[in-house]
Amino acid sequence: MGAGGLSLADILRSEAASAVATPSTKHAHKSVINIFLAGGPPHQDMWDIKSEAPSEVRGEFRAINTNVAGIQICEVFPKLAAMMDKAAIIRSVVGCSGGHDAVQCMSGWRPNELKNVGGRPAIGAAIAKLFGPVDASVPPNIGLAAPTKHVPWSDSGSSGFLGAAHSPFKPDGPGMKNMTLNGITLERLGDRRSLLSQIDTLRRDIDTSGTMQGMDEFGQRALDVLTSSKLVDALDLSKEDPRVVERYGDGKPYNYQYDGSPTCNDQLLVARRLIEAGARAVSLSFGRWDSHSANFDLVRDHGGKLDQCLSALIEDLDTRGMLDDVTVVVWGEFGRTPKINPQAGRDHWTNVSCAYLAGGGMRTGQVIGSTNRLGEEAADRPVHMQEIVATLYHNLGIDTSSTTLADPTGRPQYLVDHQPIRELI
Amino acid sequence: MSPRLFAWVTLCLGLHLGCFVPSVAIATAGDALRFDNHSDAVHLIGGDARLQLVISRGETSVDKATSVDKATSVDEARSVENATSENTAIARSRSIRDVTHSADIRAEPLGIVNISSTGQVTPIADGTVTIIAKPQSTDVELQVECEPATMQLTVSGIGSEPPLSFPHRIVPIFTKLGCNSGGCHGKAAGQNGFKLSLLGFEPREDYEHLIGESRSRRVSPAVPDQSLLLTKAINASPHGGGQRLEMDTDEYRQLRRWIAQGMPYGDDSAQKVVSIDVIPGTRRLAATSTQQLAVIATRQDGSTEDVTSAAVFESNDTAMADVTARGLVQIHDAIGDVSIMARYQGHVTVFTADVPRVTQQPLVFPEPSNVVDTYVFAKLQSLGIPPSSACDDATFLRRACLDIAGRLPTLEEVESFDADTSSTKRITLVDRLLETPGYADYFAGRWNTILRNRRSRGPLQFSTLAFYDWIRESFANNRPYNEFVKRILSASGTVASNPPVAWYQQVPDTNQRVEDAAQLFMGQRIQCARCHHHPYEKWSQADYTQLAAFFTTVTKKADHDPIEQAMFTRVGGATSPHPKTGQALAPAGLDAENAAIRADDDPRVALSEWMTDPSNPFFARTVVNRYWKHFLGRGLVEPEDDMRMTNPPSNPSLLDALAEDFVNSGYDLKQLIRTITASRTYSFSGDANYDNLLDRRSYSRFYPKRLAAEVLLDAVDEVTLSRTAFTGMPQGTRAVSLPDTSFDSYFLQVFGRPESATACECERSQDANLAQSLHLLNSEQMQTKLAEDSGRAATLAADDSRSDAEKVTQLYRLSLSRSPNENELKTMLTHLSSKTNRREAFEDLIWSLLNSKEFLFNH
Repeated sequence: MGAGGLSLADILRSEAASAVATPSTKHAHKSVINIFLAGGPPHQDMWDIKSEAPSEVRGEFRAINTNVAGIQICEVFPKLAAMMDKAAIIRSVVGCSGGHDAVQCMSGWRPNELKNVGGRPAIGAAIAKLFGPVDASVPPNIGLAAPTKHVPWSDSGSSGFLGAAHSPFKPDGPGMKNMTLNGITLERLGDRRSLLSQIDTLRRDIDTSGTMQGMDEFGQRALDVLTSSKLVDALDLSKEDPRVVERYGDGKPYNYQYDGSPTCNDQLLVARRLIEAGARAVSLSFGRWDSHSANFDLVRDHGGKLDQCLSALIEDLDTRGMLDDVTVVVWGEFGRTPKINPQAGRDHWTNVSCAYLAGGGMRTGQVIGSTNRLGEEAADRPVHMQEIVATLYHNLGIDTSSTTLADPTGRPQYLVDHQPIRELI
Repeated sequence: MSPRLFAWVTLCLGLHLGCFVPSVAIATAGDALRFDNHSDAVHLIGGDARLQLVISRGETSVDKATSVDKATSVDEARSVENATSENTAIARSRSIRDVTHSADIRAEPLGIVNISSTGQVTPIADGTVTIIAKPQSTDVELQVECEPATMQLTVSGIGSEPPLSFPHRIVPIFTKLGCNSGGCHGKAAGQNGFKLSLLGFEPREDYEHLIGESRSRRVSPAVPDQSLLLTKAINASPHGGGQRLEMDTDEYRQLRRWIAQGMPYGDDSAQKVVSIDVIPGTRRLAATSTQQLAVIATRQDGSTEDVTSAAVFESNDTAMADVTARGLVQIHDAIGDVSIMARYQGHVTVFTADVPRVTQQPLVFPEPSNVVDTYVFAKLQSLGIPPSSACDDATFLRRACLDIAGRLPTLEEVESFDADTSSTKRITLVDRLLETPGYADYFAGRWNTILRNRRSRGPLQFSTLAFYDWIRESFANNRPYNEFVKRILSASGTVASNPPVAWYQQVPDTNQRVEDAAQLFMGQRIQCARCHHHPYEKWSQADYTQLAAFFTTVTKKADHDPIEQAMFTRVGGATSPHPKTGQALAPAGLDAENAAIRADDDPRVALSEWMTDPSNPFFARTVVNRYWKHFLGRGLVEPEDDMRMTNPPSNPSLLDALAEDFVNSGYDLKQLIRTITASRTYSFSGDANYDNLLDRRSYSRFYPKRLAAEVLLDAVDEVTLSRTAFTGMPQGTRAVSLPDTSFDSYFLQVFGRPESATACECERSQDANLAQSLHLLNSEQMQTKLAEDSGRAATLAADDSRSDAEKVTQLYRLSLSRSPNENELKTMLTHLSSKTNRREAFEDLIWSLLNSKEFLFNH
């Protein structure tokens, strides 16, 4: 459970940032929605159908045309196929460490990197640290992943060496409960507030560290959250147009097989609402793609739901004029074995995997990289997982070649080692 | 650290005084301009030579002012009547100012050198020239009363173009442009196939990468301008790093010429830089003023050269001052001190500036209590900052209880301290607190955290508890700090027989042990030097390897039970291989000779002897600085465990004196606390006066500190008369007494409790955030504590024996250690009388006290 807090420096930064934002562009802040397909989606049954491969590799799906000439994807995704011009597919993702965890998708780094100083921060934590909140009552870094027994599948991205203040805010647990009144009425809160204002008279400017002033500001924000909360509203889909809710598909959380976050279409809509409210990074975990058996049934189930809600999200962002500012990335920790196993499943495959990207002002409507005939490895243009993270940072307006964060030893640490994908930016 | 630095500064000043040859600076007494430049650097050889002029105006040498500050002002500070003469000295020295960028500078005869508006001299023909600096013609005030300054300059070697040395001339360009920085080609894997060593520490490797790989493309002697090295740098070929260089620059021309010369390596050891100096070394500057710096490199052959344009500059406190790439320091509107680091070819040096407040009033100081006050007052005197008045008794009581025992004073303590009329009651209080279990609990917890003593997972483990108990016992019995550290560093055996062995279990590998030990006990962040030369210190990979060698014979007996698992030292010579050369290096302390260790000695004993030796420059200073920060809110060196030469203390004399005192006391931590808390400085009010509000590092007032997470939770429990339960601990265990930081508590987490994952104190966060405000203002946990049936509010509401005024007074004394003033009492009583539900009304009162800044802060 992250503290999801904002420091004073964050507030000041956010004020500075909002001062330069053009008032007319309501959603001018850049943001990322990171959709983690936990367990490792089968790359050859998603965006890279191997129609020519022998049957023990090919699988059950056929490729369908998309609205971009020459690009085909799996038949399970007809709605996404119809908006291929708004997305880019990377078929040659490499650099997977092989761990069953979200660490690389959240941060770009392997799990043990810089562990002795607290670890590498995830994208959301880094952006929270660098830019602070857009709206001080809405945490910049939010994690929606529902808890899983295998904890790394519901990892919303660690704050690493940046410390708890930049952890993703999770709208559950004590942090969420604290946003609605606990055992007292609004009227009584008003009484307490007035009492506090009369006795809380210690001089504030004597604390040049800014903590005291920060506590005042956050105290004010906290009371605002309790009386009318943008954050609570953003999480409340009853405040959304029912037609929009419907477009995202059945939003209830579904568990398929065992463990893994449910496929919860609503979370994509919640993510959009949080971004609108001011979040800079929202991550979520969608289903469990660890298809050691019944791979094709799983893809039909998860894929169909994903097609529905992901196409809705992209369309929704586009309609609202937010698509250029919001980057959506959909990926998992690794790919799956080319050869289908006796249980009609596919096992772990770290040589190559895939990613789906949309929005963020990228050059979309293209496929980057390819795999060999059997989908075993990258045939050309291998794209390291960190290049994707670097691209996300780029889209957020961060120059990864010059931006550093100081680790606890004072050493400047760059966000990633790789550069953004030049074909996309 | 600091005495070395201090001695170094003094040494350099001495040298410079010798070097500021009068023939260079023809400045008479009274107002005059003068050149501060190094006399040896006035011979420019070759077209690449540059000279950054530094011109100042004023009568008093800054060096004299500094010596007054550091040497004699201590005595003067003792006596208020001397303050006036001291102020005169300040006023005099303050009249020095940098005019490099505003003076009219010309050279006679023309045609020998060009001089830029920023004072950079470029030679164009052989000859001797006189440089004359006059106040700017528009500056009427200066024009009237100011003498011009002149200096002679000789230029030779124009027209001859000797081969440029790669390590000595080309690598510094990469460093200045950032090519070999950690974010670009300097990172371990290089960038896009081109790798340079970080900050150019391995020029031979860089040369191989540049010349050996893809020879024709990166550097093309036939068509130098087509070299990728140049086309990428000017962004004519697509370059991920963008444009780093313009064509019309010295750097471009030198790179181009080196390529045209056929890329000579030129390993001429005579050109190796052996030291660098910055001019001026120290100065007193007015707020919002500027100061041009010049950097002089001394080479192996004894020659000196101005390298200002190739040096890299960095400010240690950008709230105080910024510095440009060309070495122009901009002081902000602040008072205090600031250091600017200059770096060139692996060498570092610092310029330090004091920025005093402009004052005409003599400052008044109380009689110093001890050595702390002597040096703090001297610093304040020198900076012209008046101290706040002394805090009242109630404030002192709360401050001392929170800082020493990690808890609020009890009602009884508040009342008896108030009633005590003894003049020594503050000292008596500190003595008493140091003997309470709270002191041992509180400090054991702080050390336990940075010693990384925590369970790996699940329920508490024996080894965690055993080590914690051992730490706690050390503090309760006031074991000398040197013995405490020795026992940890040289721990052998099982945890059951010797609990500090747990440190070796918690910190499992040699690298982490050497890095933790260096940071914890010596304030040295040596980890940089594991992979490359420390960029801001002198530590090399060999230094790291030799320090690590002390730990290389530590091993553990194969036993899967961690309680029974023994740590011991193998018999055999402890050595560690140099990561680059593979050479086996013997153990040696930092800046120390190789340790004499026999094959059957435990090298860690030698390490702990060296580390805790009174002459060790790091050991005592690090711990006194830690404790200073604990009590005064800000370290003399900040961060407290980063005691670099390039991060000097804000008050070096005080750090030295405290360390000396500590060593002389026999490493007595309680005595250190007594010294700090007995000072007038510790007793200054937290309130600021008009003149010291800006001060944030000279201790003219007590800087408020937010209560640490554990202390705050205990304080909330105390005031609400409730108890927080911690899984696996007996009922009534206070948060400050917990044996590790792994207890599940949203409260502690949200208020910044560290996870004990590193040896860095910085893991503990005192920052404000939204989640903690929400928790304190509106959480189920807080509301439950307020509303408990056996809680404070219920108890007060049910008590008919006392008046409401008495109850409110009690609440104030409990939470703020003082009685309410008239207004506060009235506000509280009005609220009580307006509510029919008495219990809820008391809950509201307590809620508002707990959320007040006066409660949340130690002030």
